[in-house]
Amino acid sequence: MASRSPSPRPGGWSSPGLNSPYDASGRASPMRGYANGASQNVTWASAQARSAEVKGYTAFSPRNQGFFGRHFRKISTQLPFSYAEKEKLGRGRYQGNKVMQTFKRIGRNFWRLRRSLGLVLLLILSVILFYVTPLHRVYRRSSLGGGGKKYVIILAANQGGGVMEWKGPREWAIERYSVKNKKNYANKWGYDLEIVDMSTKKRYAHEWRESWEKVDTIKNAMRKYPHAEWFWWLDTNTFIMEPSYSLQNHLFKRLQDVSYRDIREYNPLNISHPLTDEYLDAEILSPVGDGKTNSINMLVPQDCGGFNLGSFFVRRSVWTDRLLDIWWDPVAYEQKHMEWEHKEQDALEYMYQNQPWIRSHVAFVQQRKVNAFPPGACGDKGDDPNIHYHEKERDFMVNMAGCEWGRDCWAEMYKYRQLSERLNRNPWERFKDLISDSIKHRKESKKKEEKGKKDKHS
Amino acid sequence: MHFAMPPRKTSRPPPYAARNQSSVRIPPALKNLLRRDKLRLVVVGALGFFTLLWLFGWIGGGSSSNSVLPGGVASTISLIGTGPAVVIVTVIDPQANPAWTERIKKNREEYAKKHGYLTFFANASDYPLRNSPPSWAKVPAVRHAMTRNPGSTFFWYLDSTALIMNPSIDIHAHVLAPSRLEKLMIINQPVVPPDSVIKTFSNLKPDRIDVIVTQDKDGLSQSSWIVRNGDWARYFLDAWFDPIYRSYNFQKAEQHALEHIVQWHGTILAKLAMVSQDTINGYHASDLANANHGTYKDGDLVANFYGCDREKRSCADEQQPFFAILEEAKNKD
Repeated sequence: MASRSPSPRPGGWSSPGLNSPYDASGRASPMRGYANGASQNVTWASAQARSAEVKGYTAFSPRNQGFFGRHFRKISTQLPFSYAEKEKLGRGRYQGNKVMQTFKRIGRNFWRLRRSLGLVLLLILSVILFYVTPLHRVYRRSSLGGGGKKYVIILAANQGGGVMEWKGPREWAIERYSVKNKKNYANKWGYDLEIVDMSTKKRYAHEWRESWEKVDTIKNAMRKYPHAEWFWWLDTNTFIMEPSYSLQNHLFKRLQDVSYRDIREYNPLNISHPLTDEYLDAEILSPVGDGKTNSINMLVPQDCGGFNLGSFFVRRSVWTDRLLDIWWDPVAYEQKHMEWEHKEQDALEYMYQNQPWIRSHVAFVQQRKVNAFPPGACGDKGDDPNIHYHEKERDFMVNMAGCEWGRDCWAEMYKYRQLSERLNRNPWERFKDLISDSIKHRKESKKKEEKGKKDKHS
Repeated sequence: MHFAMPPRKTSRPPPYAARNQSSVRIPPALKNLLRRDKLRLVVVGALGFFTLLWLFGWIGGGSSSNSVLPGGVASTISLIGTGPAVVIVTVIDPQANPAWTERIKKNREEYAKKHGYLTFFANASDYPLRNSPPSWAKVPAVRHAMTRNPGSTFFWYLDSTALIMNPSIDIHAHVLAPSRLEKLMIINQPVVPPDSVIKTFSNLKPDRIDVIVTQDKDGLSQSSWIVRNGDWARYFLDAWFDPIYRSYNFQKAEQHALEHIVQWHGTILAKLAMVSQDTINGYHASDLANANHGTYKDGDLVANFYGCDREKRSCADEQQPFFAILEEAKNKD
């Protein structure tokens, strides 16, 4: 051959079956071939079949290739209930022993109830699927379901870090635990989680607003999640002990019961309440505002020293816009920034006392509901029933407030994480732990016995 | 040609038409379920399942109940608009000449009567000012007027140094009606003259304005301003009256406090409209008037004898000729 052309024949590829067959050279008219594709007549299908042979596998796959496909019949004939068996009934053959017969009867009953049983199985399967797949999150997020997208958790990370202080491995670990804890919680209930970097930045030329960034952060979150209603601020040193509590069930569905608007119920700052100035309107003079839950725009816990903004809630509203706007004011800052060492917290306490419009829209929440303290904060014993975490009563949240001053944040975080995991074991884990614990216990007691014997002998 | 037998079948049979193979092979039992008559059953079952879940509601959700605490007092916001449209508020210095204060009161009352408005007079000593200058009293006084007249919409604070000179002008139609306010508003104007970087917003809607102020030569004037009753007004007045501003010793007490909150807090600036000074606050014979539109002319609604209550000046004496003009006009009618 002169040239190594890729085509098998001069004249290029021809579409088989459509034009004249290959062997038609030299003939004026195409030869009439046999039906069903005789050797000269190349149809599309036969070409495909031939190429399939070359390729080593067939273009079609036979059925019943799987194990069940091949053996189903065999297995099914061996099953105790089969129609084939029925015919043989009572023909004087061996019926199997009584156990087999009961099995057969049960099987037959199951078969008869296959529809309803199938429905039950389907139900169970869908429940499992609902909780195993992200479906439950989608459901809990939607406004028809749980309404989880109405809640945003703002987690302040890296507090005081940045230019002021380098983080060590412990700080990183604390942050990792804390973030993971909130991430899981937000995922579980379909909330949004906004992690913000609170490291000290010289963002403002005059350095005034340094570390007064709560307000800006909340405003940004409100802009970022335009459909959310409640924003939950959390400090880094917090841990959600009971992830099975949803915010809705724990707080917002029964806001009237878990919150108090009259600060006289628990008043560590001794704020005079209600206001008595004659020029104010009746709603503001009333100790509980208008008394409706939908007028609560801010939910704040109080610890032994007053308001605590380590864990608090604000609702999106015009009132909140105004509060966020007036919260930081240069005149107030200039006069008070030396005195207000807790910054926003002190400013809020001040405004609560001095600007009447704020009072009628702030409600307080019992501290242990959202912000329980470990021993060491507000009393070293940790036995104040208003303030300190109670394992037995399964408090929702722990805030290791002030652990960076003279306490060990990492140890506390680790301890509460372990405790939370132990409290929230599932039944299977509980069972395993029970067994391992009892074995351990037995071994120890045996050792003691042996020791006792040895002691006696010697 | 005849053949006894049909042509022999080819030894290479044509392959079967390929089955349409989807990547997932559905077992026949499931396929049976997905048939049309069964599909309905499946869909109804799934729907029923979710309805059950929703009914039980134990996977989180639902709205909060709305019970009212005992002692809760309903907000009076809903009453706004049921009373007279405008209340004129004036703070009287209790040490001033009683004959003059009577004339000032009468000036307001006659105007209010003519247009169906109300007046509210307060003593500067009525409010807990805690050692701050008595000029602060106007802020709680307006708040007080709102408490007393929850049904009224606008509260017009007018200093005792000012006189209503043209009673025939209805302030509601003249200034407050949205269509009118839209024309009067000065937008994009520095709040503090001449060149403060904070300017009044340029995209203001007249029906969303909550406070109307004027600007004299020095800055925002507090002799005559109008605020709309509502939640915003409470916020505005309470924030303005915050002791932290009173103790700060602004050069001119409440005036600088107002300029301060307007310039630093966007939620206040966004509700503020500035109108030309002679609309509600023209100064008579004062070099402190706004250079463009600050001086009182005949026929204006208000003449303000700004500063006549300070130092050795006497408001009664300065206002005497104007009282005379008012009397004359009344007698003509």
